[in-house]
Amino acid sequence: MAEQAIKIGIISCAGEELPEGTISRLAVRRVLERLRPGQTVSICLPLFLAGAEGEREFARNYPTITIDGCDKQCAKWGTETYSGAVSAALVVTDILRDRPPLSGARSGRKLTRSDLAAVELVAARLAEALDQAAAASDVSGSVPAEMSPSCGCAVALPAGTIQVNGKTVEIAGLPLIFRQCQEDELAPDHPDTGERLLEVVRVYHVIAETEEQAYQDALAEAYRAYLASQ
Amino acid sequence: MTKSEKKVLVIPCSGIGKVHGLIAREVAFRVVGELAPEASDTLCLALLVKGEEQARKAVRTQPCITIDGCPKLCSHKNVELAGGQIAHSVRVVDGFKDHKGARPGTATTLDEDGWTITEELAQGIAAQVRALCDGEEE
Repeated sequence: MAEQAIKIGIISCAGEELPEGTISRLAVRRVLERLRPGQTVSICLPLFLAGAEGEREFARNYPTITIDGCDKQCAKWGTETYSGAVSAALVVTDILRDRPPLSGARSGRKLTRSDLAAVELVAARLAEALDQAAAASDVSGSVPAEMSPSCGCAVALPAGTIQVNGKTVEIAGLPLIFRQCQEDELAPDHPDTGERLLEVVRVYHVIAETEEQAYQDALAEAYRAYLASQ
Repeated sequence: MTKSEKKVLVIPCSGIGKVHGLIAREVAFRVVGELAPEASDTLCLALLVKGEEQARKAVRTQPCITIDGCPKLCSHKNVELAGGQIAHSVRVVDGFKDHKGARPGTATTLDEDGWTITEELAQGIAAQVRALCDGEEE
């Protein structure tokens, strides 16, 4: 196994139409959490295919393995189209060919023991492929920030700051929240704007009841400044 | 896979990095598999983004409900880019509004809070599916 710092990218199809999509997604999670923690990064396929440059640059420069649920191989196709050859391309239906059929469940709540055994088998194959890719790789060192996969699910969101009662407060995802509100045509001077912004921000940010009004005012002011800067 | 022309397509992002992507995915399965199987279906978002013609045609000819786990809104934006008809765009974070301090689980498995939020979102989307179907029938 490689010493550390080498990061291998995994791109999973997670196809929603087929049970094999669930198997591929869970196998990746198993590798990330248990089999090879710290050695891999998962790349969000829809984001990658939609043109996220961080993801594509990573896959151009670091070993990347794709795992697809079916022979349409969306993950492999996308990676090779936009970032070049992959280190390995696994297909769940190939790996499970000689096993009993899956139950057909797609929800994690309904997977059978046999389905879960299939997950373990696919995860083990994926871990082997990771080890081979790491051994063959001449890439080492930390992944530069600009090249890091930036799936909104996987990493911290870009933050913004507001001034609340004289204190600077950092809010995760604030630029994205403002952009979404702008797309929703939220008017900056509407009386409910502060309240609506607060509703969204407090999902990820604990706000004391005594500070709600101050947050509303600060968010509305920051939102006006954001719109003015566009 | 051939899609019924009248079914509403429920399309989650399935983001792999955090619990919100898993909730989006489970919500879709609950709707299309149990709450409104006769009126809804899903399709692989990756297949759509890849540009497969059948998937593109499906989102253009059937109403779509997108479910996104993060503010990048991959499902909403990709359906829109494919020329799809988005009837409703659902954000998983909105399901947390009435569950302050919820512990939904991880990107791998949902805990009780996660399933509760999943169920509430799924019930809401199932109602949207039925309303869309009723509207089409009129």
